Amino acid sequence: MKTLLIGEYREGKLLESTYELLSFAAQLNADTAMLLVGSESQLPAYAGTLYLADIATCGEYNPDLHKKLILDAVQKENPDCIVFLHSSYGWDLAPRVAAALKAAQISEVIANLDGGFEVGCCNAKMRRTVKSTTARTVITIQAGAFPVLQPGGSPAVQKLTADSSGNLEFIGYEPAEKKDVDLAKAEVIVTAGRGIGKKDNVPVIQALARALGGELGASRPVVDAGWVEHSHQVGTTGQTVSPKLYIACGVSGAIQHLAGMKKSDFIIAINKDKDAPIGEVADVLVVADVMQFVPALTAKVAK
Amino acid sequence: MLVISCIKQVPDTTQVRIDPVTNTLIREGIPFIINPYDSHALEESLRLKDRYGMRTVALSMGPPNTVATLKKAYAIGVDEAILLSDRCFGGADTLATSKVLSAAIERLDKQEKVGIVFCGKQTIDGDTAQVGPGIASRLGFSQLTLVDRIESIDFLRKRIKVRRKLEGRHEIVEAPLPVMITVVRELNRPRYPTVPMRIESEEKEIKVWDNSVLKLDAETVGLKGSPTWVSKIFSPERDQGEIIGDGINDPAGTANLLIDKLLSKDLLAV
Ligand SMILES: Cc1cc2nc3c(=O)[nH]c(=O)nc-3n(C[C@H](O)[C@H](O)[C@H](O)COP(=O)(O)OP(=O)(O)OC[C@H]3O[C@@H](n4cnc5c(N)ncnc54)[C@H](O)[C@@H]3O)c2cc1C
Repeated sequence: MKTLLIGEYREGKLLESTYELLSFAAQLNADTAMLLVGSESQLPAYAGTLYLADIATCGEYNPDLHKKLILDAVQKENPDCIVFLHSSYGWDLAPRVAAALKAAQISEVIANLDGGFEVGCCNAKMRRTVKSTTARTVITIQAGAFPVLQPGGSPAVQKLTADSSGNLEFIGYEPAEKKDVDLAKAEVIVTAGRGIGKKDNVPVIQALARALGGELGASRPVVDAGWVEHSHQVGTTGQTVSPKLYIACGVSGAIQHLAGMKKSDFIIAINKDKDAPIGEVADVLVVADVMQFVPALTAKVAK
Repeated sequence: MLVISCIKQVPDTTQVRIDPVTNTLIREGIPFIINPYDSHALEESLRLKDRYGMRTVALSMGPPNTVATLKKAYAIGVDEAILLSDRCFGGADTLATSKVLSAAIERLDKQEKVGIVFCGKQTIDGDTAQVGPGIASRLGFSQLTLVDRIESIDFLRKRIKVRRKLEGRHEIVEAPLPVMITVVRELNRPRYPTVPMRIESEEKEIKVWDNSVLKLDAETVGLKGSPTWVSKIFSPERDQGEIIGDGINDPAGTANLLIDKLLSKDLLAV
């Protein structure tokens, strides 16, 4: 088995998740080469082949050109799997590469399982094992699903170039709108899930967050219902957070939510259902009615 | 110029439950909804209709009961809804799905030039993010993914400028028409049908195109034309965290236990 890993460079930095690709490959026991559109000043610490294209000439993202670079490396390496991160970069580029290679694509893989790749379905209630029948397979892996593996050493660099005949014209970047809260910086986050029942109960969760010196988080249904601003949303379509303490109140623990918070240092789940999937990542589970338990906890914390 | 939205009918996954005995999904009684991302695709096509008078078509590949979802598309104002349904289309993965949708788009393009195809950025029930790009590469359309705003359309130069939602920032990018756009939820707020429109939509006829119309090689669509297959569906094993106290009968006592735990981990600022 041979893999070509597509590393990622964003806003002038090698992404640490690039090392998650290495642990994905290590789990498969695969030979590995990596491709990176990046800079010689920041090479990944790994001792294998690295196809390097210069970000200054190839651009941070230029789909057609980056696709060509990858196809070139595929020719040279003849890999079985071409592996991307499931980021906006991989999201856009992986299917282009798959189409060009007539390869099957499996997206947002969370584990390797007996010859197949495991992906979540139906809000993480179920998993499926997906297999590919084409000679090559294009894969994207979910952020955080594989641990960071930093083998050390320095890569054998082979430089790549390509010209673009692409039809997209890059105009520029815009910063995201200002958020009224920066969850990424919070040390404590107390999250309201649909289990809180109604908008009127948000202040109860907010009060616990305040008593702990933290911020309010929210699951998506709570945001969609307009109970809490989107800037508080945790998960794949919200923010990814890793506070010291994360308290999930009435959150079931869907995969998209877990992806945004499972790297928190200590996780407490308060849920009336002892089998809720959130229990899988929680260090401590309190089986209780949130609206009874949270005020009791806040009162004691405040003391 | 035609605007097409590709929509999929999916089971409402928030209501899917697992049978604790057989460990399989309980599907009975689960309502079908339009894939939430696709409802934003549909909405955006209607906004272009409102603004520029472009004709809108909603396309869906699925079993015959997908008619219900396409009626909803009529109820909010699409000009035409077409169901792509044939036994041989069943069991398709994303690649085989994009093949059927592409064939239908090509067919529509012969009557009136297609300018924009909207797809949701992914579906909630299955594989993610490949049907739209599959259509783009098959038809040679420009591909713009993760779009959260249409900045402008220049019909003379046949170009479109959009904003894409990336991690912590946006990208502004321009592409020639025709284009395939996948949309994120921030793009718009889907409208609701009015009562008269809903009643009217009940009367509307949904065109059905089967493979006698699309004439695709049956070996290349549906399950047979799918290069990925699902070998197993299962409910994940879980390592549960430690359950503390009895929060139902003794919230106060349990709160004390939890606070002790937090103190022991040095997580409570004192
Ligand atoms: C593509 C995609 C992206 C998504 N992105 C995100 C995202 O970024 N963030 C996100 O959060 N979700 C996201 N979702 C939605 C996600 O799949 C779940 O639907 C969502 O996380 C569920 O939110 P919840 O846990 O609050 O609600 P539910 O799943 O409804 O869970 C409510 C929980 O509360 C418990 N409960 C109910 N009443 C009480 C009570 N009185 N006391 C105690 N517990 C109670 C229940 O046992 C249950 O476990 C995304 C989904 C998709 C398909």
